[in-house]
Amino acid sequence: MIIAATSRTPEIIFSEHNCSIKGECYPENISEFSKPFMEKLASSLAQSESYKVDIEMYYFNSSSAKLFFDVFDLLDGLAAQHKQVEVVWRYREDDDTMLEAGEEFQEDLQHLKFIVESVD
Amino acid sequence: MNKNSVKIHELMISRGTFFCYAGPLSEEVLTSITKVVKDQLADSESAVSIRNKVFSIFVEQAQNIIRYSGSRVDQSGVGSVSISNTDAGFLLEAINEIETTDEARVCKVLAELKAMDPSQLKAAYRERIKSGPPQGSVGAGLGFIEIARRSSRFDFSFEEHNGAKLFIYRGWVDLAP
Repeated sequence: MIIAATSRTPEIIFSEHNCSIKGECYPENISEFSKPFMEKLASSLAQSESYKVDIEMYYFNSSSAKLFFDVFDLLDGLAAQHKQVEVVWRYREDDDTMLEAGEEFQEDLQHLKFIVESVD
Repeated sequence: MNKNSVKIHELMISRGTFFCYAGPLSEEVLTSITKVVKDQLADSESAVSIRNKVFSIFVEQAQNIIRYSGSRVDQSGVGSVSISNTDAGFLLEAINEIETTDEARVCKVLAELKAMDPSQLKAAYRERIKSGPPQGSVGAGLGFIEIARRSSRFDFSFEEHNGAKLFIYRGWVDLAP
């Protein structure tokens, strides 16, 4: 399932064991955006033994920061129950803002494997 | 009339104001103007990290006006947002009417944030993102903290204007750290 990018929301691709999120996120209406996304993510997670979330963001606003936090909180809880989940947070090499954002999310996690890496 | 036209021209040129929008702001309007702002920032040839800071302050300031301006037209909040070049970098200004009942609360929150150093701001951000939005917030309640973190410095004031109270909110992004 593919949710196409808009000028203010990222492209989201759900496949069997993976969800990929790429682009910018500052939706006009955060709950209209986050609710179907969280529902789809929860159902995908429930159907898979192991799951990976790939994220490559260029910008997100403060309302979307809360959405990411909630996603990682959910995944951290699942990891605590020994589910195989993993997040890869990618940032463009010269983008300190997204590097720091990834590192800050990482700091709040206890169990989730959360990798921060640069892309060219 | 011509006098005013010259005045606004002179004012914007002399202040280095390369973007200004004044009037009803809605999310739809924001979608259109962010495209312009992005292009302008790309043209400025400043570093990606600087452009990101300016852009994120701009979006948070605009969404504050959309959501909380005391002067409203349908779903839009009336106000103005502008971006100017300064000797040190960029100045972002947001002005809107504010309900007198909101003034004390906004003043308290911003005064607290203004007194914080970067590590305290980071702690305040994490605390807020964990606890969720305060009552009356339609976003995550993180906008003011985000602006405080992304700006090199910010200030704010409230001024009586034509029987209403104006909230003047300014953030600077300096090119040198």
